[in-house]
Amino acid sequence: MASRNELSQFLASTERRAYKQAVFAVRDDDDALDIVQDSMMRLAENYGDRPVDELPPLFQRILQNAIRDFYRRSRTRMRHTVSLTSLEPSEDELTDPLETIEVDEEYNPFATPPAALLQVETLHLIEEALKNLPPRQREAFLLRYWEGLDIAETASAMSCSEGSVKTHCSRATHTLATALKAKGIRP
Amino acid sequence: MSPEERFAHQICRVLDEGTRGLDYGIAERLRASREQAALSLQPVSCESITIAGSAGVLGHLSGSHSNGGHPWLTLLVILALLLGVSLAYYWNGFDQATENEEIDSALLSDNLPPNAYLDRGFQAWIAKSHAPIVSPVSAE
Repeated sequence: MASRNELSQFLASTERRAYKQAVFAVRDDDDALDIVQDSMMRLAENYGDRPVDELPPLFQRILQNAIRDFYRRSRTRMRHTVSLTSLEPSEDELTDPLETIEVDEEYNPFATPPAALLQVETLHLIEEALKNLPPRQREAFLLRYWEGLDIAETASAMSCSEGSVKTHCSRATHTLATALKAKGIRP
Repeated sequence: MSPEERFAHQICRVLDEGTRGLDYGIAERLRASREQAALSLQPVSCESITIAGSAGVLGHLSGSHSNGGHPWLTLLVILALLLGVSLAYYWNGFDQATENEEIDSALLSDNLPPNAYLDRGFQAWIAKSHAPIVSPVSAE
């Protein structure tokens, strides 16, 4: 059974990636924080008696379920507001994707050498490309490569087959490579 | 490592750099959420461990239908319990017999035969022997 300290250490090691995953999926900081907080509480309350090494795949499964629940609730809300929102142009129509590249000045407020600036721009382009991936491809890519889950654990977290995980990962990587190459970033 | 995996890991390295520059307010909210979650983790009490352990042993021995256990194993456990109760009863009876044996030994080692205590005449004789003795001379 994981102790309180071990649970805290595990959450500290994964909370920022979890938050970013949620942001890529729901595109809102507050909603993403709520999802991560909810997932942490569910893990502690329902799976606190599990050994520490079982926590990463369990937490990812809870997180992905929380994100899917958010999608479902959003779709329900959208059914009631579609008549109003359809009168306004969408966000994508108003903005040029290239204009969304912003430099986060708080990232390094004391020095902005060209290399750091390039890194921030690259990060932003990669994050945008990830946000634009189909949800299942993004989920598979982040779980498999960023979270370091193996194929079986990823399949369990996504509630799909291992073959689907491989397909999603492959497609995600190729889509990202194409999107980033179009923006001048080569692997 | 395939080119696809190498590319994926390059991207993840950049993403890792991005998490280090997270906004302070967001990092603080994540920390608060983590602490709240850790506090909600209930410590398991010793009593519940003992009960769970006992139940686990019984469950392990007998198995259960839901887990694919055999019914005859359950029967075996019940028979073992009955045997244990019978042995305890027999042992208590043995103690009682030992106690009776000690009383009998005490009676037999006495000067009087045990049957004397059951003889009504003997009881009457003892009662009479405690009465004052009347002299034949004074009676005359």
